[in-house]
This record gives sequence, structure tokens and C-alpha cells, in this order.
Amino acid sequence: MPLLDFQKVERRFPVKRSFGDLLVNRKPVYLHAVRGVDLAVRQGEILGIVGESGCGKSTLARIGIGLQPSDGGRVLFDGHPLEGPDREGRLQMVFQDPYSSLNPRMTIGAQLEEVVARYRPQMPRGDRQAEVQRILAEVSLVPETALKFPHALSGGQRQRVSIGRALCADPQVLIADEPVSALDASVQAQIINLLKGLNRDKGLTIIFISHDMNVVRYLCDRVAVMYLGEIVELQECTSLFATPQHPYTQALIDAVPDVRRPQSLREPITGEIPDPFAVLPGCRFAPRCPLAETACQAPQPMQALDTGGLARCWKAARVLA
Amino acid sequence: MSLLSVRDLVTEFQSPSGTARAVDGVSFDVNPGEIFGIVGESGCGKSATCRSILRLFGGASAQVASGQIMLKETGDLARMHERELAQVRGRDVAFIFQDPLSALNPTMRIGKQIGEVIRRHRKASRAEAREAALQLLRDVHVTSPERRLDAYPHELSGGLRQRVVIAMALALRPRLIIADEPTTALDVTVQDQILRLLKERRDSLGTSIILVTHDLGVVSQICDRMAVMYAGRVVETGAVRDVLDAPSHPYTQALLAALPGQVSRDSQLIPIKGAPPSLIDPPAGCRFAPRCALAQPQCAIGAAPGLHSRPAAAEGHFDACILNEVSHAAA
Repeated sequence: MPLLDFQKVERRFPVKRSFGDLLVNRKPVYLHAVRGVDLAVRQGEILGIVGESGCGKSTLARIGIGLQPSDGGRVLFDGHPLEGPDREGRLQMVFQDPYSSLNPRMTIGAQLEEVVARYRPQMPRGDRQAEVQRILAEVSLVPETALKFPHALSGGQRQRVSIGRALCADPQVLIADEPVSALDASVQAQIINLLKGLNRDKGLTIIFISHDMNVVRYLCDRVAVMYLGEIVELQECTSLFATPQHPYTQALIDAVPDVRRPQSLREPITGEIPDPFAVLPGCRFAPRCPLAETACQAPQPMQALDTGGLARCWKAARVLA
Repeated sequence: MSLLSVRDLVTEFQSPSGTARAVDGVSFDVNPGEIFGIVGESGCGKSATCRSILRLFGGASAQVASGQIMLKETGDLARMHERELAQVRGRDVAFIFQDPLSALNPTMRIGKQIGEVIRRHRKASRAEAREAALQLLRDVHVTSPERRLDAYPHELSGGLRQRVVIAMALALRPRLIIADEPTTALDVTVQDQILRLLKERRDSLGTSIILVTHDLGVVSQICDRMAVMYAGRVVETGAVRDVLDAPSHPYTQALLAALPGQVSRDSQLIPIKGAPPSLIDPPAGCRFAPRCALAQPQCAIGAAPGLHSRPAAAEGHFDACILNEVSHAAA
């Protein structure tokens, strides 16, 4: 049974209507940020969710942790539906900007203790400080960090504190939304190593949201690729990079700058992510796709791949039924 | 002869806690028709270096304290009066900022903004300027350019906005374009398109480009030569393939080893321990020494080491590691 199971999850954001729109009684317009996403997160894996800005990856994560409601479908945790934020702290989140997600007026130690007290009330008050110290050590921070305020820490240290704070709740799932995007390459490596270690040593399940294909390739076990609110491909990480089946996945991989090679001569895909309001009945990537045909204008269900993955393209190398 | 020759550039920023030398003795050359990459992590002085060339400090209390910025046929930009430099900006050297939205006037239609750049530097009627703007948009492959002329910046996507900014930079056919992190705010598929566009414009017009970025991958894509900066100094420079395929400075080596695209999934990434030094009171000797895995006692003594070529290095490949110099003496 999957640990966290997204079932047909939908999310629409109403778009503000101007006074003029109200006067003429224009119908409300919705931005469909997440469209019927099915995604089963397995116990103990690092699942990557990749896509470009506006593809719905962050919204999906926020629904998963209960920070945002869904407008349809449901999310099961350990077989039970999640309603609102999990009160037992079994799901925790790490945000992109560690500065704005820490309280600037509390010491690191006090912030972490608060989380321990909130989610592990059975722990005696006297043991909390020792627990905070144990967690600081776990994220490779020196004990004195507990006495400092966030402004006295570097970006990498702050992100370690954010991860440590999530660990204070003793979670089963960690959702990390672009946790290394704001960090320099040398510091980014520390955080990636830390996440990899937590997964390996504690069996922590991690949902890793990123736009950086290099980081995802290195860190994740499975990868879901999102485009305009839909998952267009889901595969084991190694097979996704070796044999991407959806043309969008291929384009994303091709566009990643490689330090070992100059720019390829291959024609890049044209255009940008189109207007999310213009709903197309068929494949949403078709207007930019080099392989598009008339058949792409029909609705595209997920196809089972011979590698065991799924792709939302009728041209993918399917399992022969 | 090089188009731009920067020698011993020092740029200082005043802060409440003292004077920070963001650029401390930087020298490099940019040849005609060349794309020159400047890379480094946040605070290394790469942005300050390229802003010093046109003195675009955006209100920060910064000044070019010493050094030469020789632009071929124009002279030393570092000694030029503000009024003269204003003529150089746009006409000889154009600047592309990271965030295209803040570089465009939100209340002015695209066509008029591009036209204004043209009319500021040469006599042209409104109709002529509009026609020239249209051609510039075509040159940077903006789709349906006639329609975009009358659009406002907020109506365009991030990639289109950056194309408009590039069109404006190209408007006066400058000899040099300085692009400061031009693709950092863009999605990867759009970044790829913009990098191709910059390279294509260089190929067709022969414009030199200085590309400032934190992303070694971006440099690898389109640059010919590059400089790696650390704590206000250039620590390694050379042809892009020489530097990236056979880095000789420990900092460049460490940066490459920290990249996840470089190693197999089973091996650990090797982060660089510690943090960059303060630029107000930098350490003696090599500024990377406190974080360097190979550091020796002599690394932390004296003035910051200059660039030199190590034995068997490719032509034009220099680094600032004294340990390489020692091996040179032994050989």
C-alpha cells in the first residue's frame, strides 16, 4: 500500500473578477492548477516532482501536506483520508527560502523545542533540549547553533535548521519544495547529501520538488514530470533519464546545460508554457511538440510503459497488450 | 588586439561596517566577437565587476577605486566623466539585467521603449523608430512582432520580455553586450532558447558578449573563454573547455565536484566546507585557503597570489594557486 496516495486530485484557483466583470455578470474564471493527479508515493522512496514554473508541482505538494484544500479527489495517508494539516506531524514540509520560513525573533533552539513539544507531547519537558541537540547533530550543525538567531546563520545553515525543524516532529514523509534552489552550488551539495542520508539511514520518505533536472537525476528514486497541472510521465529515475517517453520530458532533459559539452545543435523546442486558461481537449504539450499530429488533439490517457512507468503520450513505447 | 581590456580593477562598496573590496585587482580581456563567461558564487564580485565597466551601481555607494577599463577606440572608461560614459552606454556597450520586468518601463508600450533607445542616440522620426523596433523584434524571433509592439511588458511572458530586453540592447549595434545572469529567472527550456539567441546574434553581428552567471553549465554551453571568480579575485581563466575539462585551481575543481550532474548516483557529492570570507577584512594569502582541502601553511601568507600559467597548461590557461607554482619550480 502506498504511504501517501493522491487520487484524482484537482485544484482550481478562482481568478479575481474586475468590477466591470461583476457588472456584466461575467462567469468566474478558474485557473486549473492541478488536473486530476493520481500519484502513489511509496514508503521509503525519494520521489521527485519536476516541471517548469506554473506546472502545479508546488500546489500539489501543498495539497499533499494539507496546507491547501483540494477541489476534487482525495489524498490518503497510510490508507486514511487526510483532512487539513496532519495533527500528528507525520508529514512535514521544507520550503525554498529558509529565511522567510524561520521566526527571526526566536533562537533556533526555542523554535525547534516548540515543534518537539507540539508534536511529541509524551516526551518529558526535561528531555526536549537533549532531543533538539540530537537533531542538530543529525543535520550536522554544532550544538551552539541552538543559541543563535536565524540572521546569524548562512543560507546553508538555515536550510539545515529548516530540515531539522521538520525532523523534530518525527515525520514519516518530508515534502521539500525547491529546498536547494536558493543556494550556491557548494552549499547545495551539503543539503542534497543530508537529504540522501536521512532517506538511507532513517528510511524517511521524501517528496522532492525541483526544477533542476541534474539534482533530481542524482537524488531521486522515481520521478514524476508535470506540465500544465498534469503528470505527463512517471518512471524510475534511471529509466526516465535513459529512455524518456514523453516528448516534454525529452525536451526538459535536452535543455539542461551540461558542463561537459557545449550546446548541442539539436533544435530546441519552441515557445513557452501556454496560457493556462486556454484549455485544450487533447495533449497540452502538443502546440510545442515537434512530434505532434492530429491524433494528439484527442484526450491523452496515461499509457503503461514497458519499463513499468507511465506516460501521457500515445506515441510512447507501450506495453504490448 | 582585444576589444575590452580590464587591468587591476578595484571596486569598493561602502557599508556601515567598513569598506568592502567587492572587486580586488581583476584583469581580463574580451576579444572581438568573443563570448566571455564570468562565473562564481554569490558575493564573489562577478556582478560588481561587470557593473563597474559601465558604472551601473544602482544607487549603491560604490566606486571604481583604481584600475583601467580600456575599450578599443574609445579609451579608459574608468577615467571617463559620467556624461561621456552615458554616451558609451547603449551605443558601444549595452547591459542586460537578470530581471527583464524591472528593466522595462511598465507604463510604456514595447515599441515605444525600443524606439526611445534609437531616438536617444540618433535622429529618427517616430515612424522610422517604430519600423526599426519591429525589425529588432523580428531579429530576436519574437512571434507576431507587429502585435507585440503595442503590448505592455506585463502582457508578455518572461522569455518574451528577455527577448525584448535583448532587442533593446542590440538596437544601437553595440560592440559589447554585458549580460548579468540573463537566464537565471527563466525556465530551463526558455533559458536554452535565450542562450541560442545570444550566440546567434554574436555569430551574425560579431558582437562581443560578457556573460555573468553562477551556472557552470551555462558557461559551458555558449562561452569561448571564461574567468572563475572567488572573493573579489579571478582565480582561474582560460578557454572554456580547458578550464572545465582540466581545472587547475582547487576552487574550480571543488565547484565542479559539488555539481550533482557530474557524479554517479552512488557516490557522494563533495561540498566545499565553510563559507566565503568577508570582503571587508579578507584573509592573507590565497582567499580560498581556509576552505581548501589542499591548503599548505604557505598558502595563508602574504598578498593574494596573482595568475600564472602552470607547466603543460594550454595556451591562455592561468590560475592563481601557488601550489601549482611550486610544482613549476620543482619541474
